[in-house]
Amino acid sequence: MRVFSILFAAEWRHFRAAKGLVLLCGLLLATGLYGIYYGTTEIARQRQQLAALPELTRRNVEEMKAKFPGPADAGDIGYYHSTFAVHHPDAWAALSLGLRDVNPSYVKLRLLGLQNQLYATDNTNPLKLLSGNFDLAFVLVYLLPLLIIALSFNLLSSEREEGILPLLLAQPIRPATVIGAKLAFRVAVVLGLVWLLSVVGMLWAGVPLDGRVLSWLALSTLYCLFWFGVVLVVTALQRTSAVNAVALLGVWLLLVVLVPSLLSLGVAAARPLPQGIELTIKQREEIHGGWDRPKAETMNRFFALYPQFRDTATIRERFVWRWYYAFQHLGDLAVAPQAAAYATGLQARHNLAESLNLLSPAINAQTSFNALAGSDLPTHLAFQRSATRYHDALRAFYYPFLFRKVAFTHTDYGQKPRHSFTSQPELATARRGLLKLLLSVAAVFGLGLVLLRVRPVLPR
Amino acid sequence: MTYLLEARELRKQYADKLALRGLNLQIAPGEIFCLLGQNGAGKSTTINLFLGFIQPTSGAAFVNGLEVAANPLEIKRHLAYIPENVLLYPHLSGLENLALFSSLAGFKYPESELPNYLTDAGLPAEAVRRRVGAYSKGMRQKVGIAIAVAKHAKVLLLDEPTSGLDPKASNEFSELLHRLSGQGTAVLMATHDIFRAKEVGTRVGIMREGELVDVRPTAALNAQELEQLYLTYIH
Repeated sequence: MRVFSILFAAEWRHFRAAKGLVLLCGLLLATGLYGIYYGTTEIARQRQQLAALPELTRRNVEEMKAKFPGPADAGDIGYYHSTFAVHHPDAWAALSLGLRDVNPSYVKLRLLGLQNQLYATDNTNPLKLLSGNFDLAFVLVYLLPLLIIALSFNLLSSEREEGILPLLLAQPIRPATVIGAKLAFRVAVVLGLVWLLSVVGMLWAGVPLDGRVLSWLALSTLYCLFWFGVVLVVTALQRTSAVNAVALLGVWLLLVVLVPSLLSLGVAAARPLPQGIELTIKQREEIHGGWDRPKAETMNRFFALYPQFRDTATIRERFVWRWYYAFQHLGDLAVAPQAAAYATGLQARHNLAESLNLLSPAINAQTSFNALAGSDLPTHLAFQRSATRYHDALRAFYYPFLFRKVAFTHTDYGQKPRHSFTSQPELATARRGLLKLLLSVAAVFGLGLVLLRVRPVLPR
Repeated sequence: MTYLLEARELRKQYADKLALRGLNLQIAPGEIFCLLGQNGAGKSTTINLFLGFIQPTSGAAFVNGLEVAANPLEIKRHLAYIPENVLLYPHLSGLENLALFSSLAGFKYPESELPNYLTDAGLPAEAVRRRVGAYSKGMRQKVGIAIAVAKHAKVLLLDEPTSGLDPKASNEFSELLHRLSGQGTAVLMATHDIFRAKEVGTRVGIMREGELVDVRPTAALNAQELEQLYLTYIH
């Protein structure tokens, strides 16, 4: 322990002397702070957008009241009056935006068919989406390993190449202690940065102080340790600094770029999804076909679902709202199997990708951060299910007005169901991610230690 | 008698070369044994085997009665090593390098005492606190000597230690070796320098192709005879 602390302290002096490395650490700190700024700004923008929605609804109600000053047909209200299903972000989403940039944070709903409304999103610059998010999770998952590589590629090889190692190993110290102290110093520097950025990020984002604080810190710590384990393996092979640098960058490229791309392709091939366009076309055909279909046929199919309205008058008029909404409703039902298959398929892809992410700790860490932040696909699917239930509730609210021919009055606006959905963390996913990262860390450190045992450190 | 350095049938086979062929050697306290030989004769291999840097193919090396292979850490408490070209941490001063290596060896000296080791080794006082990166090879060699002396080792392993030193520094080094040997330190020095070997050594051994082909007390030979003997073996 005495020797370890001497070597550890010496590393601090070596580190201070290497101005480039100090600069690099400063750069990562600045990049991390920008990541926090980016994430919090994006979430603040989304929150601002969501906060404006009640005002939009209020204005819409005012317009409706002006347009229909007296008791009105609920069909008119259901057609012209819009409301919102909103997906409030969790405060943690500022640190790991996940899919919150590509998936809408709210859905504008009217009483029409649900499916074509559920996937309508605001226009977004596709180039911005393509470039992805620059949040703290991105900095930790993708850029931090590069800092670890820069700090550690010459962990022992620099001493060998500078000719210091023979004198060092002529002292009564184990080579493993030298490597351990050097590695521990770098781990301390990097974890110091990671924890500092994480705490700043948490305070900046105003996250609740719950178990996720520890989970986030544990995830980021294990992820760093994984990369230091890779460094240990490469160091144990005792090649030159140049070879080490190339090998470590190769591992980074493999685990951060190639494996994720191949996994994405493999998962897409293994879990094919029904095309969204097929669903849209089928729903449109069903709804547009509703105009030409005999009204009795439409209504009989509808009454099979809502027998409580079977006693309503037979439709003889050219147009009535309850018939219009009936075929809108049937349009949704016609594509219900495809819609369910699409959602199930997305979830299956996510599940398969999650089960395979042991192959790439980078994906595992990203998935786990998103799960903690409630910004992953399952959360979005949960929001869609919530929006669907809300639309069902809207139908349940309007249908008695339509089928019992009850006039819609101004006070009824206040009775309309409201919606709110806040992201929930996928803690089970994060726990699995932690366990898998722990396995990855154990694997690389185990391999590194075995290599060190079978390949004694050579001073030259 | 307990030898501070001993090799018993020490053999080292590399993939394509037999570097050492059953070396037998004993060096007693106070003895300065100089190994002479051409490049590749096995001098550095012998030193590396005593340091535990490489493992013998067969046979055993002992330091202060401890087998090197079985006690890789313990034996390093008893020996100090000065390579041909002492390389140190360039961003640290000579004093900081000395403090670091001494503390790694288990010695913690008062700050006032450390510079004396460097100046005693011949380093100018004004250079003590300068960065080693600005040192000449000779100055680094002196820091290496100070590190070895500060370790109070019973055994000194030297691999071409005077290579690159000016005559004055070489002489100071010879004096230092005599002083240490007078205190009971056993010295094994690999060198090409026949005259230095004659001057400081108590015995010289001539190595050829991994074999110790001749061992003589230096007192029994003058420099010309030693040179003649050396040339006889290497041709």
